[in-house]
Amino acid sequence: MRRRRQRPIPPVSEQSSDAELLHAIAAGETSALRLLHHRHAGWLRARLRRRCADPDVVDAAIQDTFVAVWKDSDRYVETSADAAAWLWTIAVRRLLSTLRGPAHRWLSGPADELPDVATTPSAEELVLLGVEHGALGPALDRLSPELRRLIEATALDGLSVREAAKLLGIAEGTAKTRLMRARTRLRELLT
Amino acid sequence: MTTDWHLDPGLLEQYETGVLGPSRIMAVEAHLLACAGCRALIPADDAWLADSWSAVYDDIHAPRVGSIQRLLTRAGLPEHRFRLLTATPTLRWSWVLATAAVLMLAVAAARVGADSSVPIAQAFLVLAPILPVIAVSGAYGPPADPMHEITGTTPAAGPALVLWRAVSVIGVAVLMATVAAVLLPGPGWYAAAWLLPALLLCTGTLALATVLSLPVAAGILGGLWITGVLAAASDERAVASMFGPTAQLAYLVSAVLAAAVLILRRRRFDLGENR
Repeated sequence: MRRRRQRPIPPVSEQSSDAELLHAIAAGETSALRLLHHRHAGWLRARLRRRCADPDVVDAAIQDTFVAVWKDSDRYVETSADAAAWLWTIAVRRLLSTLRGPAHRWLSGPADELPDVATTPSAEELVLLGVEHGALGPALDRLSPELRRLIEATALDGLSVREAAKLLGIAEGTAKTRLMRARTRLRELLT
Repeated sequence: MTTDWHLDPGLLEQYETGVLGPSRIMAVEAHLLACAGCRALIPADDAWLADSWSAVYDDIHAPRVGSIQRLLTRAGLPEHRFRLLTATPTLRWSWVLATAAVLMLAVAAARVGADSSVPIAQAFLVLAPILPVIAVSGAYGPPADPMHEITGTTPAAGPALVLWRAVSVIGVAVLMATVAAVLLPGPGWYAAAWLLPALLLCTGTLALATVLSLPVAAGILGGLWITGVLAAASDERAVASMFGPTAQLAYLVSAVLAAAVLILRRRRFDLGENR
């Protein structure tokens, strides 16, 4: 079915790194995809379930994610970004398209293309790593929920403002103003 | 990207049950993305994991979708209809039959020189409307479909299935006949003159099939058409008038009438019965 194999790929095992697994997947190794799935499906599910209450939709999004990884793993090989962050960007967008897509998506055509997004951590993400210490945590807690959801969707989930608006079910303009207000408010709370 | 802070099972459980404060949720998520060790802490649900994996496995091993199906799906034909139409081998044979017959006619017409082309072209006009009828008569029922007994017990059987199959075979037959008609020497209107008679014969056959069985209905209407044309064949002007504007209008009106009869009597459309 796939004829991408150029050179022999070393056998993969439980100990292989994500990058090695993805290289093997690009060469058409189903066992590597299985290992990657078993390693990452759990936390993706836990995190997606906080975005969507319907377990069927979450399961469908996770399945779509790994099918997309199987089809487009050479994209990862090209960018060689952090595998977990790459998987998350795919999964959260799959969830989005499942949420907003037609009801019978399995009867319609193949899923749309993978997004070309940078998976390097944003400055906000780096700050969030330290949220357990310092003043940011209390400030975020004091933010009103709809403003906080936007910070979460853009800074943490890595979505664009347009995608965040889709996820939250609001207009793009509304999302932009809310995000601006959220940042101003955070700045006030932190100074 | 390492931090001195790590998740513990208690915190993860709080995260999963949703009792954490908003900022700590964000902290947990940011940390999960950065720390493989803490990701592995999330308890695995083995049954769910196996289910999810088998779904992924089935998906990546699914048969590839052909280009024709992709085109039809793009045009709005659901996948299960496509399966229904391609699953009947006899149906494919009737397509091939119609196609081959039309092509042979076209070749015959092209072989004959330009001076003697008029009678050949008329033979085409006589036969072309019959071809879709033959295709329709082979689309459903005991003689054409060896699986008919089984098909007849399914909810899909009956008028809907006949019409789907008829539409698909007529589509192919008409397409091929159109190609042949365009290649045909002779007056330009010959290329389109057979379409309305063909429409009348097809809808008429289906309407008559609410009373008789499908092949008998096709035989009666096809026979009527051939005898009518043969009777007029001695006189060249009579043949021309059979495809003239007045006659075409009459064909159209009768086809509409036949369609109305078909719609009104659709409940009698039980083609499995020999009547």
